[in-house]
Amino acid sequence: MFETGPNWRRDAAFGVVLIAVMIAIPFLGPSRYFIGQLTLFFIWATVVSQWNLVFGVAGIFSLAQMAIFAFGGFATGMMGLYLGISLWFALVLAGVGSILFSIIIGLACLRLRGPYVALLTLAIAQVMYLLIITDTACFYMEGVTCRNFTGGTRGLAKFGDFGFREMLGRREYLKGDYYLSLFLLVLATVFSFAIIRSPLGFAFRALRDNPEYGVSRGLNRFKYQLLVFAMSAFFTGLAGGVFAGHFRVIGANVLSLPLLLFLISMMVVGGLGRAWGPILGAALVMLADEGMKDFVEIRNMGYGALIVAIVVLLPQGAAGGLEQVWEWGRRQVLALWGGTGRLAARRGAAGEERRE
Amino acid sequence: MERTASEPLLSCQGVDKYFGALAAVRDMTFDVFPGEALGIGGPNGAGKTTLFDVISGLNPATAGSITFDGRTITRATPDRTCQLGMARTFQLNAGFDTLSARENTLIAAYFGRHNRLVPGMRFDRETQRLADEAMEFVGLDEVAHEATQTLPVYHRKLLMVAGALATQPKMLLMDEPVGGLNPQEIDDVMALVRRLKERGLTIMLIEHVMRFLVRLSDRVLIMHHGEKIFEGSASGLVYDKTVVDVYLGEGSSRRLRHLLEDQPSPDEGAPGAP
Repeated sequence: MFETGPNWRRDAAFGVVLIAVMIAIPFLGPSRYFIGQLTLFFIWATVVSQWNLVFGVAGIFSLAQMAIFAFGGFATGMMGLYLGISLWFALVLAGVGSILFSIIIGLACLRLRGPYVALLTLAIAQVMYLLIITDTACFYMEGVTCRNFTGGTRGLAKFGDFGFREMLGRREYLKGDYYLSLFLLVLATVFSFAIIRSPLGFAFRALRDNPEYGVSRGLNRFKYQLLVFAMSAFFTGLAGGVFAGHFRVIGANVLSLPLLLFLISMMVVGGLGRAWGPILGAALVMLADEGMKDFVEIRNMGYGALIVAIVVLLPQGAAGGLEQVWEWGRRQVLALWGGTGRLAARRGAAGEERRE
Repeated sequence: MERTASEPLLSCQGVDKYFGALAAVRDMTFDVFPGEALGIGGPNGAGKTTLFDVISGLNPATAGSITFDGRTITRATPDRTCQLGMARTFQLNAGFDTLSARENTLIAAYFGRHNRLVPGMRFDRETQRLADEAMEFVGLDEVAHEATQTLPVYHRKLLMVAGALATQPKMLLMDEPVGGLNPQEIDDVMALVRRLKERGLTIMLIEHVMRFLVRLSDRVLIMHHGEKIFEGSASGLVYDKTVVDVYLGEGSSRRLRHLLEDQPSPDEGAPGAP
């Protein structure tokens, strides 16, 4: 029921199989649409895996994650466009910048508690959204067209991409983005697994469970909560940058409320605070979304139904449910083994009787 | 006694704690010497727990000064006082509910001993050894892998003590360690506290169960309305008119007197207060 046991062998085996399958998929001749959707899945799962550290593991109700994602995306795009540097270089700088951005948000938020953190972080994201869509000032002229600093309602574009088009050609370039985002997800997931299972992860969970008791056992609340903010920002910012490079455009819509809810539902469906939660949740919610594409009228209702079903039937999320199935299966196997064990025990008991 | 010769481990000088105009703790001055057990009693709302909050840094003092082990800790944060060697248990069943009992103790052993500038990737051997030792000392090794939220009250109380011990404290502050326990469990905790004293641990304990308080404490301090109304030996307690009037009442003080003289008494319960 609790992620306490050192199941790292199982997790590593599962992870390796999953990575192998994902590496193989582009060679099986899937459609461009399928590859594109999987790329998006890797990006969202990356974001959710880091959000899960803040929200699920450390229990801080932060909604800043999409603001950090947008920061990473816009920073990558702007550096590519205005400084003319390689998007790869811009991506790394944006990732580091995201950490600083997140620390600033963290410093503002962590004096607050519970729902107030959610309100402030949501406000930050909304302010960013409004600043971008109301940006009408001409930053530079492109011929007779006026271009805004942030791209305004049109979105920021023309900053190029990661160079896969040139390298792989127009037909194959999607695979470049595919592997790049897969690589990002693998790194982000390994990172979050390592954090969750390390003393640091225990510190986060301890402060989530009981902050007062935590500080009385030597945990500096401010330090560790700021640390989880900073740590979760790097891969989130990188995901934003990869998103921008993949679509070759980034706009204020990444800060929209529906997208925010889409990603939160991934976290809830997967299981808050669970190591495998983000990947499972992102997969399930994107599959559900895919399944409901043809029924636009009931799409939102469908989401609602999915979340209600998960919360009622699997309060620990899909990852928690699977964990229970795994434990049940293990007990069955152990019971089978125990059959022979019991035989040995009976023999032992018989021996003792003889001695008497 | 050699106590007068040695330096106090904890020293509070004129400590005040105000919540607005309300004085929860007023002008508290007392010392606790190494190896000593100081019992703190008093009616509900007397400021006993607030005093613990002030000393441990959870709710810093408004005025006065507190020194611990030669350092001024008046403004120290609770994580710092813990790392300096002052461990505390709580009146309510505090713990990290979703973690296992052993993980609770591991966290205390890892973060509670000294400041971790950059935490490592795993709990080191020393931390694991200290945590397991603490669990065994209080007798929780059997339930080490159970989830904290599923443990019964008695085990949760012991788990707080295990967590405190795992931080390798010089001093233990126990806030109502036997509140809500049955007589058998109270006796078991009493035996545990005796073993802690034998290990040389300095103890401050708050308790309403008077037989627990007077039997374990070398000295007793009684608070009322945030102030100290008595400080001295447990035997002096029952003859002090103010204490009898304010807290114990005639009946309980008579029963306690019997208890202190080691005579069987009709019932050994808490006085006036629950």
